[in-house]
Amino acid sequence: MTIDWIKLLFTLLGLFIVLNWGLIQYGIVRRITARVAKRIGMPVYQPYIDLIKNYSIRSQVSHGVMFYLGPVFRLAGGVGIFLFMPMIYDSPFSNYSFAGDIILILYFMFFGMLGMALGASEGGHPYSFIGISRGLSQFTTIEVPFTIAVLALAVQHHTLSITDIVQAQQGNIWNWNVFQNPFAAAAALLAFLGMMGAAPFNIVMAPQEIPIGPPTEYHGTYLGVLQTNRAILYVTESILMVNLFFGGATNWIELLLKSFVVYMWPVFVSTVFPRFRVDQSVPWFLKVPLIIGIFGIIYLYL
Amino acid sequence: MVSPIYIVAIGLGVAFLIVLSNTKLFNFSLILLLLSLIAMTSISGFWLTHYLLLFPLSIDFPYEEFTAGFAPPIAINLRMSVFEAFMTFAINLFSIFAAIFNWKLFKENGKYALSIFLIFTMAANVIIMTRDVFNMFVFLEIASIATAGLVIFTQNTISISAGFKYLMSTSIISSLLLLGAIFGYVSFGSLNIDFYIIPILPDIAPVALFLILIALVLESKPVFANGWALDMYESAHPNIGAMFSSITTPTILFAIFKILPLIPESWLTVLGWIGIITFTVSNFLAIRQTHIRRLLGYSSIAQTGLMLMVLSFASELNDYFFPIFLGFLITNMVAKAGLFWLRDMIGPDELNKWNILRTKPLYYFLYIIFIFALAGFPPFPIFFAKWHLLMNLNFTSHAPEIILLLVGSLFELIYLSNWFVLTRDKESAQESTYRPAWNQIIPLFFSGLVLLFASAFYLNNLDLWLFAFPSAVVLLFFFIDFVPSWVKTVLAMVFVAIAAYYIYPLVQHDQIRLLFASLFVIGSLLTLIPTFARKEKRLFFHAYFVMVITGLLMLVVAGKNLEFFLGWEYMTLGSFFLVERRSLTKNTPLTFMIFSGVSAYFLLAGFMLLNQGGVSWFASIVKSIPEILIPGLILLLLGFFIKIAALGLHIWLPSAYAEADDDATPLISGVVINAGVLGLIWALFSWKLLNLPSDLFYYLGWLGALTALAGNMMAIYEENMKRLIAYSSMAAMGYVLFALSFDMHLGVLIALYYTIIHFLYKTMLFISAAGVAFRTKTHNMYEMGGLIKNMPLSFIAVLIGIIVLAGMPPLAGFPAKWMFYNAVVMKEWFFQGLIVFYSGIVAFLYLYKLIASVFLGQLKDPLRKVKEAPIWFIIPQFILIVFLLFISVFPDQILQPLASFVPSMFGGEQLSWNGTLANTSFGYNDAFAIMNIVMIMFAVLFTWLYINSRKAQKVKQFNIVFAAEKPFRPETTHVSYNMFAGYNKALGFLVYPIFSLGWKKVAEVIEDVAETIRKWYNGNGQAYALHVLLFSFIVYLIIFGGFAL
Repeated sequence: MTIDWIKLLFTLLGLFIVLNWGLIQYGIVRRITARVAKRIGMPVYQPYIDLIKNYSIRSQVSHGVMFYLGPVFRLAGGVGIFLFMPMIYDSPFSNYSFAGDIILILYFMFFGMLGMALGASEGGHPYSFIGISRGLSQFTTIEVPFTIAVLALAVQHHTLSITDIVQAQQGNIWNWNVFQNPFAAAAALLAFLGMMGAAPFNIVMAPQEIPIGPPTEYHGTYLGVLQTNRAILYVTESILMVNLFFGGATNWIELLLKSFVVYMWPVFVSTVFPRFRVDQSVPWFLKVPLIIGIFGIIYLYL
Repeated sequence: MVSPIYIVAIGLGVAFLIVLSNTKLFNFSLILLLLSLIAMTSISGFWLTHYLLLFPLSIDFPYEEFTAGFAPPIAINLRMSVFEAFMTFAINLFSIFAAIFNWKLFKENGKYALSIFLIFTMAANVIIMTRDVFNMFVFLEIASIATAGLVIFTQNTISISAGFKYLMSTSIISSLLLLGAIFGYVSFGSLNIDFYIIPILPDIAPVALFLILIALVLESKPVFANGWALDMYESAHPNIGAMFSSITTPTILFAIFKILPLIPESWLTVLGWIGIITFTVSNFLAIRQTHIRRLLGYSSIAQTGLMLMVLSFASELNDYFFPIFLGFLITNMVAKAGLFWLRDMIGPDELNKWNILRTKPLYYFLYIIFIFALAGFPPFPIFFAKWHLLMNLNFTSHAPEIILLLVGSLFELIYLSNWFVLTRDKESAQESTYRPAWNQIIPLFFSGLVLLFASAFYLNNLDLWLFAFPSAVVLLFFFIDFVPSWVKTVLAMVFVAIAAYYIYPLVQHDQIRLLFASLFVIGSLLTLIPTFARKEKRLFFHAYFVMVITGLLMLVVAGKNLEFFLGWEYMTLGSFFLVERRSLTKNTPLTFMIFSGVSAYFLLAGFMLLNQGGVSWFASIVKSIPEILIPGLILLLLGFFIKIAALGLHIWLPSAYAEADDDATPLISGVVINAGVLGLIWALFSWKLLNLPSDLFYYLGWLGALTALAGNMMAIYEENMKRLIAYSSMAAMGYVLFALSFDMHLGVLIALYYTIIHFLYKTMLFISAAGVAFRTKTHNMYEMGGLIKNMPLSFIAVLIGIIVLAGMPPLAGFPAKWMFYNAVVMKEWFFQGLIVFYSGIVAFLYLYKLIASVFLGQLKDPLRKVKEAPIWFIIPQFILIVFLLFISVFPDQILQPLASFVPSMFGGEQLSWNGTLANTSFGYNDAFAIMNIVMIMFAVLFTWLYINSRKAQKVKQFNIVFAAEKPFRPETTHVSYNMFAGYNKALGFLVYPIFSLGWKKVAEVIEDVAETIRKWYNGNGQAYALHVLLFSFIVYLIIFGGFAL
């Protein structure tokens, strides 16, 4: 296999942009939520400081090989989704999306999740186990409305390729899937709330309850790796939504703005809702979002 | 030419001589008895050889012995055709061994016992040979009185009252026969049945024939008029019970056979119905029996009923009549006698006291073959007899009888396997100091040998090397059970290797066969490896193992329905033994056997229907009548659904897999389950090839999807790791079914691909589980934890297994998921697809639980010193890992050839390949590229972390952030038990056990009904006599009341 160096360069550049945008975005979001709570909040650049601090800590412990690999899996999951996602339509920033389609992205989400779950479990902390079992439980149902939305899009455009889905939405704002199939978009956006793990679906990390769930035992560089992943993953998943429902983007500014707006959706929801219990959160996705998703399918045949 | 009259002469003469002899000469009398029996056998044997070997042409000209020198009708004539020769030979030979077995009994009861015994045998001979009705009546009376005499050998109130009831009822029956003889004489002018051709008084003739027939039928103990016989079986000495089933029954049946030509055709239907109802009801009532002799009595009566039915179909069965009839007759004679004899040896009449047998391998082996010969498993004659019976009956005219036959066979299977399973508990078996005496050993082994010899005779009709020889190999493994375990494992491997070499040329041109043959061969070899680790003695473990393998290999070389079914039954029986060996409760193996039995009878019924349509091999049906094919194939599918544990038919699966020996589970789950897939594929291919209604596929799709969901949903609440993996098998089979139901090229491709990877990862996971359990001595995951440090290799295997199972890129499971999505959107099966994808994600829950509870988290104190699983467990796992990783990197190398396996009749889109890139009109996937990208990325990120934290310090177990406290015990910190409580609270209603409860209810109802009907036999002699009369009266009304005409 020959390495396409130009492509690699573009991809790394994209990764750099996404990482930084993710960090800044996180800073902004923290600021917004603080303001809602009538606090001043941390500086926007605080995530950078945290990251540098965490990577610099030299006193570290390990609970074993799997524990050590957990963050690597997690970050590989985030970076992997980025790598397999076309970023900017009709540009060199298509990353390695030639290797697989939307199904690859859907299943690559589990890569980081399961790897992290195994790593955290080796830490042996009960909160890790509890957080993971909650996370996995919730994810099973989150995927249901999301999958049905993806199926609807796939049939509507007769493709599973994200690039092709983006292409189909070009030209006019009415071509966006959010208008072409509003039910599918609504189902996916409701699922997106769960994917982002924001309140009321923040049962995994669940601050004050099982602080902070799976990563309880992770610190120092491990935590740095996890924070890096968070920055990349949140942006990439927002970009996925943009690609699927909001017409994709033809340049970086459009992409980052759209993804920022999409990302605001769970942020706003989370600032006004308290946390669900597990048995409320898990079936929630099988109720309204699923019904909307089914409408998304029926809509295709009307 | 030895006249058959000498049989009578010797019998009578010696019997009188013994009575007259001095008591001191008892031993001499005993030897005289034996000698006379040998002489009688020799005479019959002489005639048998005369007809079969020396003068085969004379077979159509039977020898007639005219007593007193006059030809009939003046005197009585005895006929000695080949039939009589065979029957008398069989019962006389049997009498020799019965006499040997009774040696001690005779000594206890003195010379009169000898005399009665000899008279009894002689009477049976005459009943068989005579052509004279009155003579038959006389000797029936003699036999009855002798029987009553034999019953009261055991002197207690029960047996004496039973003997009296017996006499009461049989004298009524004999009177009927006598009346028949009188009417016969009046109407035909003769007592000789050879002259019953043109009646002088035609009005009376039917009544005469009816009376003769009904008397003989009543003697065959038809249901509801057989209380006297049951009480006699229950109370008589078991050795005498053996004689009832093995001498009286064949004799009476032969007498009926003799008068068959006289009976109007319309009566035969009634006869058949009496037979089949007797069969079904007796078997049904036997389910509730706990008394062995009575149970064997029920079983004898049931078998007699079945043979009666076969007799009534004699002309329809044509050439197959004798093989069928003899198959039932011989098995019933030797196996039933064998079981009665074992009862005499072992002692108690309670079913559950027979676990003592497990300490005596040779007798245990005999017990196994007797039980499963009666239950109709191959290679025993009843298996073939039932097969040919069903294949040669016309279903359209005999549907109710056939259904009753199958239902009755199921009941029979239930009580026989229940009895067998109750002997499971070896621990409570007291080490018996009892040594069987020589006189018990010889007849038992004789029975076993006859059974095996008869089996060989029936197997002989099949391909010697493919079917008969492997059966012999299985037998061999029973006999070499004493050698060390590893020797047997090596031998088994050699056998598999030779078999593989031999069958390769046979399967290489049929890709589906080749594929499954490879799975079975590789699976067998790999699952044999872990058995090296167990050195302790395990009774017949290897024989069972080889039996399963043999069955599997037979499936792939089968070219006829019979051959397939033979392999199927071997596989089922072997699996049953492996499940039963260690099972915790009797319900597990019993449920397994009942469901397997139902599966087998579905297959049997399906094959029967196909056969009616002229189809002898279901996998390649060229042309047939759709009205027969559709129900036939659906029955086959139902049979296969049970094997793949489709929803509703799955309840046998988890416990069966969980409670089998750990090193047997990989075989019976990971490998054997593919037999169901093979059958399913063949049946569906035929369905498709013949353009039968494609609606079926739609329903299969839903069934597959719901099976997948149910399997995964139930797995997440399991605490037992083997049960968890077992449920996951059920789900995997749901995927395969779902894939097949797409009814298109891509679907079949997915099914084949998924079958392969499921075989690889499931076998691996079960071996891993076996390795872990081998060390930890438990299957409960919550008792484990933190084993990654002790068992890193097992951990790696499980990790790879669960990643593949979960379908996560970049491993081999992902291409399957990707193809599923493509197929779902092509087919637009959104809702079924959604269920399948949802269930795929649900799988994450139990996969996490499996790996985290066992290997991660807190190590428990009792397991601190646990070592890695033995190398014998690790080797097959890593071989499987190599396969899995190869497929992960190069799925195209598997998928491209597999695509050519899919028959061209399956239309729809195919995968198009561009190098390693797979394309459909919807999506694309390049597994090789994904693997490379992920590997490189992972390596880079790992390096990044390593550079930053290379000095990370390893800390001890409890060094965790725990609210500034040190955890008290690992148990309080390891979250495993009921891990998904929240999920259960949210969605637990989805796993409400409707099917388990439903089946349980069915079982309860069946048992209650059996219990109620059983009360018909109230033990009252007068009632029994009334039953006999009522029975005759009702049959008379049916025959002459116009119902049967």
